[in-house]
Amino acid sequence: MTVRIHSPAGSIDRPHTEPAPAPATLEGVSIGILDNTKPNAGVLLGAAADELCRRTGARLVHTDTKNAALPAKDRVLNGMVREVQVVLTGSAD
Amino acid sequence: MGPMIELPDESPETLLAEFEARGWGDGLPLVAPTDERVEAMLAGTDPDEVIAVLPPRSGRADRRAIATNAVLAGCTPAVFPVVVAAVRALAQPEVNLRGVNATTHPVAPLVIVHGRVAETAGFNSGLGAFGPGNRANAAAGRAVRLVLLHVAGALPGPGDASTQGQPSKYTYCVAENEAASPWGPYPPGADAPAGAVTVHCGENPHNFHDMESDGPERILGKAASLMTTFGANNACIAQGEFFVLLCPEHAHTVAAAGMSRADTAQWLFDHARRPAGEYRAHFDLRAWTVEMEAAADDEPLAPTADPANIKVLVVGGAGKHSCVIPSWGMTTSVTVALDQPAGARP
Repeated sequence: MTVRIHSPAGSIDRPHTEPAPAPATLEGVSIGILDNTKPNAGVLLGAAADELCRRTGARLVHTDTKNAALPAKDRVLNGMVREVQVVLTGSAD
Repeated sequence: MGPMIELPDESPETLLAEFEARGWGDGLPLVAPTDERVEAMLAGTDPDEVIAVLPPRSGRADRRAIATNAVLAGCTPAVFPVVVAAVRALAQPEVNLRGVNATTHPVAPLVIVHGRVAETAGFNSGLGAFGPGNRANAAAGRAVRLVLLHVAGALPGPGDASTQGQPSKYTYCVAENEAASPWGPYPPGADAPAGAVTVHCGENPHNFHDMESDGPERILGKAASLMTTFGANNACIAQGEFFVLLCPEHAHTVAAAGMSRADTAQWLFDHARRPAGEYRAHFDLRAWTVEMEAAADDEPLAPTADPANIKVLVVGGAGKHSCVIPSWGMTTSVTVALDQPAGARP
């Protein structure tokens, strides 16, 4: 005999936000770095940005920081939205 | 009515296999959340009332979802209000649940039960309070973890990056031993008539023992030594909290010297110290206050900026073992009273 049980997952309050579509080309695109201040995150992201700019013609125009354990402040997010089209961020321990 | 799943039977084997296939569960056997069991857990409360929305999944923790997980964990209905209160507490912004769930640190929410519900629902505050063996402690803590896994989406990997995990991510619940405390119930809010729940997102308990002292200095000195270990994640985080859970015998020895709960926290703040330069030698990244950063290298510093971040409670039974539970760091404990929702059956 079959049995019916409740799902433990409940429902989602709002849909997951999907990443924006990747730009077709990075040539001339403004990129930013959001350094989460993990050890060497700035070094890693800076090197990645330099290489990206060298290879594609993108321009690094904006850098800011956030605490890795906390959400980025609105000021930081608004600055990214205003200044750049692509953000490099995130580094684990 | 929420989404339902049809199974060929409700045997432990079938249920566990279904959950494994869906990436759910904590790896242990579960109780099938049939409609009858979930209804009994809800005890007439509104199943659609949303208690919290939990990150990172933005899962809606309504009473039905919480009750479903409480059934899975093996809770009795008497325990359910504690689980609901814990979920409500975890959703408070100062807990920073997104960070708690997502970090590489092995943080787990410790649920501390206060007041009348600890007795009426059968929680253990005495000998062996951290377990094993008591159903209320084990199941309530497990239910909170299952809510985090299923509703919050704190699944190891995509939602929980903990490098090694830790045993307290299975269950982590204890009751305060108010009857054996020389200082009365833990504030704030713990004197709510029905009871209250504190959530503290921390490491596993760091045990210390003192079998021979008849005064507070050597007992609390051992707690202070644990508070100044460089291995704790909050070693250089100014807002870091330390829950110091004294066994009744240690607490009474301390209180017999005339020390209140606040005195005890202040003593620990004054004595749990290392030269600022030692912290600097170990940590390039510090979440210190301006005043802490200004300290000279030879100035003794507490690992936290405020004695109010040191919480002293009584837990356990006979014997002379106590523990310190450092927080993850970027989180603050929350105490909430048990709710008495309109429409609840007595």
